[in-house]
Amino acid sequence: MNFRRIASLSLKEFIHLRNDWWLPAFMLLGGALELLLIGWATSRPIANLPMMVLDHDRSAASRAFIVALENTGTFADAEFVYDEDDIRESMERGNISIAVIFPPGYGEQIADGSPSLSVILNGAESVPAREALRAVEGVAGDLGERITLERLNLDPSEFEGFIPSMRVWFNETLSEALYTTPAELGMMLEITVMLFAALSFTRERELGTLEQLLVMPYSTLELILGKAFPVVIIGFSQFLLMLGMMNVFFNVPVRGSLILLLTLALFYIAVELTKGMVISVVAKTQHQAFLLVLLVGMADFMFTGYAAPVESMPQAVQFVANFIPAHHWLGIMRGILLKASDLTVLWPNVLILVVMGTIIATFSMRYVRRALN
Amino acid sequence: MRTNEPTVIAKNLVKEFGDFPAVAGIDFIVGQGEIFGFLGPNGSGKTTTIRLMLGLLRPTEGEMEVLGISVNDHPEKIRPRVGYMSQQFSLYNDLTVEQNLRFHGTAYGLTNTELVERMSIALEMAGLQGREKTKTKELSGGWRQRLALSAAFLHEPRVLFLDEPTAGVDPISRREFWELLYILVAQGVTVFVTTHYMDEAEHCHRLAFIRRGKIIATGTPDELRDKFMKGEVLELAPDDAASAVNVLRNASAEGRLDLNEVELYGSLVHVVANDMSHKQSEIIAELQRSGLDPGSGVIIEPSLEDVFIASMK
Amino acid sequence: MAPRHLRAITRKEFTHIRRDRATLILVLFTPTILFLLMAYSLTVDINNVPIAVLDHDRSPTSRSFIQQITAGDDLDIFAMVSSFEEINDLLMREEIKAAVILAPTFTEDLKALKNLSVQIIIDGTEPSGGAFAVDHIMSRAEEFIGIALADQIRAMGLSVESLQSIDLRVRAWYNPGLKPRVDMIPGLISMVLGFPALSVALALAQEHEHGTMEQLIVSPIGRSDLLLGKMIPYILVGLINVIMIPVLAMLWFEIPFNGNFFLFFLLSAIFLFSILSMGVLIGVFMKTQATAMAVSFLLIFFPGFFLTGIFFPIVAMPDIMRMEAMALPGTHYAYIARGVFLPGVGLDILWPYALMLLVLGLSFTGIAAIFFKKKLG
Repeated sequence: MNFRRIASLSLKEFIHLRNDWWLPAFMLLGGALELLLIGWATSRPIANLPMMVLDHDRSAASRAFIVALENTGTFADAEFVYDEDDIRESMERGNISIAVIFPPGYGEQIADGSPSLSVILNGAESVPAREALRAVEGVAGDLGERITLERLNLDPSEFEGFIPSMRVWFNETLSEALYTTPAELGMMLEITVMLFAALSFTRERELGTLEQLLVMPYSTLELILGKAFPVVIIGFSQFLLMLGMMNVFFNVPVRGSLILLLTLALFYIAVELTKGMVISVVAKTQHQAFLLVLLVGMADFMFTGYAAPVESMPQAVQFVANFIPAHHWLGIMRGILLKASDLTVLWPNVLILVVMGTIIATFSMRYVRRALN
Repeated sequence: MRTNEPTVIAKNLVKEFGDFPAVAGIDFIVGQGEIFGFLGPNGSGKTTTIRLMLGLLRPTEGEMEVLGISVNDHPEKIRPRVGYMSQQFSLYNDLTVEQNLRFHGTAYGLTNTELVERMSIALEMAGLQGREKTKTKELSGGWRQRLALSAAFLHEPRVLFLDEPTAGVDPISRREFWELLYILVAQGVTVFVTTHYMDEAEHCHRLAFIRRGKIIATGTPDELRDKFMKGEVLELAPDDAASAVNVLRNASAEGRLDLNEVELYGSLVHVVANDMSHKQSEIIAELQRSGLDPGSGVIIEPSLEDVFIASMK
Repeated sequence: MAPRHLRAITRKEFTHIRRDRATLILVLFTPTILFLLMAYSLTVDINNVPIAVLDHDRSPTSRSFIQQITAGDDLDIFAMVSSFEEINDLLMREEIKAAVILAPTFTEDLKALKNLSVQIIIDGTEPSGGAFAVDHIMSRAEEFIGIALADQIRAMGLSVESLQSIDLRVRAWYNPGLKPRVDMIPGLISMVLGFPALSVALALAQEHEHGTMEQLIVSPIGRSDLLLGKMIPYILVGLINVIMIPVLAMLWFEIPFNGNFFLFFLLSAIFLFSILSMGVLIGVFMKTQATAMAVSFLLIFFPGFFLTGIFFPIVAMPDIMRMEAMALPGTHYAYIARGVFLPGVGLDILWPYALMLLVLGLSFTGIAAIFFKKKLG
């Protein structure tokens, strides 16, 4: 193994990157900035939902309920309408999330009967709708409780509430950013590393310089190492940048060992890199490489439990998820950042990363040279 | 300084891509210090052959030896001692002259001291002293080609494989390129070059004609000329070359003139016949009879293009 | 603009694409494949969420409570533990998503109508599992309380009617079960149809990279014809997917399609024009394909995923980000898609979105054409 040779290949790659500096600049800075913006956009609790109220009763009771709703902070100030058609039209336009309709006798029903309300939710956007429903149920539940206690002549102040107390671990403030941003970082990192790795050979092939490179006295391992080094630098720099941003702007802590996190990040980058190399062997043009990287990246992302927890997926899918490096990387990140986990807990994840990486690397070593022709 | 020691050997080389035989059984031997040319039209298998010799492709059948080492068994041993110039100039366009040379040199294992020395020789060879910091893409075709050659020679390989090295380059640059090649060959380098420029083939010590993956003939340019050219070539420059060709072909078909070949050669006409010194006047008379001005006529040495076309018959 | 030139460029692009089978297949099928992958992950019903239970009370009542909350598929008792440390350990190892701890005074407190002495601990690092567990436990707990309270009140000699609750009659329009998949899956179409835009950006950058751009410039073909000609094959690719994807959504994922398909097709064509023009704008500026990839990924793909209101509601975004979302064609098209699928509305409701798409598309193409000239000149 000639290190000078490897170094000169890496140097050449760095020169290319400097000549086309938009590329690394965009991926590094752009990636981090994007994380920042999107993290900011997607980590706020749902509030200011547009709500319409059709109050047939117009009693103190109905007004009290409306005020209680507005006080939850989930809704914007209620918009009062006088016609169900208005509700229908706004729903169709997607302008409101919820409409609350008080029947004519509401106030009286509160006093002596079973009061009832109509709630219409905009199912075309289920996430805000669910929040809205939760808020309304909360207000209704509280109100019901209070009335019951009064009836039973119990002192409300003694009553702690028939609600289980709840503690949230690792994320006391229930800040959404704590779980969305690591996942977004994972996706960005994976795609960046895979893309650069895939392009490393595909680009030369497309421009016609690959042949010359293959005729040079590089062993396959030396070629891969030479190409891989700049990719690792880029990936790791992006990781550091994004980690810093998460910490500073979103208060995502690093409760475990930072050194461990950085080391494992390198492992993970290496694994994604080998995947990118496999793609560069399969893809004949840069265009193909790009599409393949995105497809693989998105497929992996699904396995990381972003949309739905992996445990709920069919057994076969769960089995496959074990082989997805990103799945383990997210576990490692969550563990070290939020749970102060160390190797005693994380070793299965690390083991699989190492094993997967070795398998893919061996595969690419065997076939790279052959397939590059 | 040529010896007869075989430097590059190919035996019964076959390469099939699926059903298609790009190379369909090729044998040749290149001696040390020789310029060996592979001459053939596009798609005849020239590039595939070079790729096979370099170990970039695995042959379907056959063996190859370079500098005494089997290409099939130990391609990695051959690479450090061989230089290659691929068809597409294979230099990195966005790198400077210096950066390209340095990368090449280090890749081939030159130490820093060696690199300094060899790079200055290479720059001199290519005539690019003072232009080290120019980006390769800013060089014109001829300069790029010389740079590519000097890069290929940076590590003093004993054998050079050049795939259509002068494609798309102006004639003056081409001539200078071949002069460079001769200098290298004088130092004992063996050169295997593919080309489809017939006039360049003249510069080779030995040639092989290749068509559709098979070698039609091998030999020195003179040997090939003798083998294939039956007769001598009369070159005419009539006003209307196309009509002249028709007239002469008719005359040959009708038996009035005994001609081997009548070919349009640009705006000239090449007539091939035996005993041309006697037939020349008859040919000119025939043209005049048809009302055409034969222009000047000269008996010439058959060019390799003539030879090649003749060999295809 | 000359139709003849436009045809020439379009034909050239088609030949180009057709010659490269592998790329054609990738470009053609990537949106649908991605759609299937993502839609599948959205249709996974959350169930079998593993929890741990620590019962300090160990009475028939507490056992009945545990029974109540774990009945059915939703939660899975991973372990009945006997110490707090075990819960800690299991949470760290991600073996459980939540834990329920019943205090020793559980039954007494319930009988005294004091409170429900139950503590739930959730793993706050994974939203889906933990939050789901909590919701589920809470609602089951309520049922339990309702029954327990009724018993209690009868035991106290009061009438059950004094138990007061407000009857909420909830109707969820267009999506009766409020299942996330029903509204997210139509939204996915908006996201996956962004792929052709990436390809068109690359196609333009490729001409720069391979040096063939010069040839095109020298030809008499006008700038806008050039750009439009590049877009057309990809619009076609997009439209093919516009047919395939709703069919899959309806047949495989059982999403209702209540609107007019021809209208949807037309509006989709407008969307494709709009988003492809974003791709064209990027492609005009980028000299290499790699840069086009990076930029289009960051400006089209990533925002297309996160900012278009498919997964994260736009209402919850800060004002600046909401404005940025409005500048993305994908946002408007997501509204259109949801509108056509779910309420099945027509042009009278959807025209503002269609108009926005046209405006965005024309602006992007216009800017691209202007800068295209400046660079060549």
